[in-house]
Amino acid sequence: MKIFSARTITVLNKGNQISRQSIEKLDLLLLILETIDLNGIQSLFALSNRLNLNNVLPNKVTIWKLRNSNPLRKSYVNNNIKANEFDALIKITVEMSTYLYPYIREILKSKEDFNENSVIWNDFKKRFIELINERFNKDSMRVKKILNQNENDEIIIKSLLTLSLCISNQGYQKLKNLLLNF
Amino acid sequence: MQNKLSFHQSSVSLEIIGLPDYSNNENKDQISIISQWKLTMIDKPLIEGKIEHLGPIMNAFYVYSNLLIKNEIPIYESKLIDIKADNLHTHNIVLKSSKPNVRPLILKIGNSLLSDTINCFDQLNESSKVRIKKTGTFNNVPKKVRFGLNNKVHFLNSILPPLIAICSLFLFSSTFIYFYNPIEDKEKNVLINPK
Repeated sequence: MKIFSARTITVLNKGNQISRQSIEKLDLLLLILETIDLNGIQSLFALSNRLNLNNVLPNKVTIWKLRNSNPLRKSYVNNNIKANEFDALIKITVEMSTYLYPYIREILKSKEDFNENSVIWNDFKKRFIELINERFNKDSMRVKKILNQNENDEIIIKSLLTLSLCISNQGYQKLKNLLLNF
Repeated sequence: MQNKLSFHQSSVSLEIIGLPDYSNNENKDQISIISQWKLTMIDKPLIEGKIEHLGPIMNAFYVYSNLLIKNEIPIYESKLIDIKADNLHTHNIVLKSSKPNVRPLILKIGNSLLSDTINCFDQLNESSKVRIKKTGTFNNVPKKVRFGLNNKVHFLNSILPPLIAICSLFLFSSTFIYFYNPIEDKEKNVLINPK
């Protein structure tokens, strides 16, 4: 049963170009997954092999290059990421969230029971901030917002929640629609 | 003998009880006529009801979660269920009974239980063994908040912008239109050549 039927994608796709907000959001989700999985880059590449995405993502460098299409990155390159490359990144994001769901859930739970069990949340947040400092352009206002201790809880929680809601078989389509329509 | 199917996700399980539709030559293990469903969340009261309640409740959870992650105001209100966010990680659910003199059931759940519940609903949606007919409430969901599964680009969306552009160009240029007036022209000529 399909509960929700047609939702039109009205944004982006000008000659197969993806909007910068969509790339920013997707890269942030991948960074969240990398924060959980210490060997994240290797896992992403292994998943791309398992999903037979070798033609789009033949090696780790390609994944890295595509993620550098995120304007918030220090090493930003205006690559004009193609629709099939964007799709491939969404597929590996969904697949990795499915594997990491128990961890994503634990991090969310740790924030809910912060007074009793704050260790998981604090560790996660610390590593996330480290990764942002390492890879993102700290002069950008958006990055400053992500790094701001008072504001970033909301960004992190919503990103974790987004990943946790896209682990079903329809997860790819859900995440794609979400990224292209926000 | 009724069939039972369960869908589990961490702390939440959803049980569907019903019968196959033998008139459609369905398998014995299929459920098409749902008589009852139960949603169990650990440390929370049991939620159960009939098929007419399941659709609106699933709908409410989907719409609410979509509002939540899209940075819109996360409030969902209906005759049967209200959901709103107390804060970033607590969601207040009010389930209103259709029976008279029954107090509404109030639940507070966190993000972890919310995602478990939605994943259970996803499993139910994707299960080939359960067939749920679309109820009227599904169609009442505002387009803006649907967690859409199709990515069709409407023909209208591609034709509408140029159409609006042409119309506005026409309206704008029509304000400068000049109609030839022979009488006015004669008067001008008289003024130029007074003889």
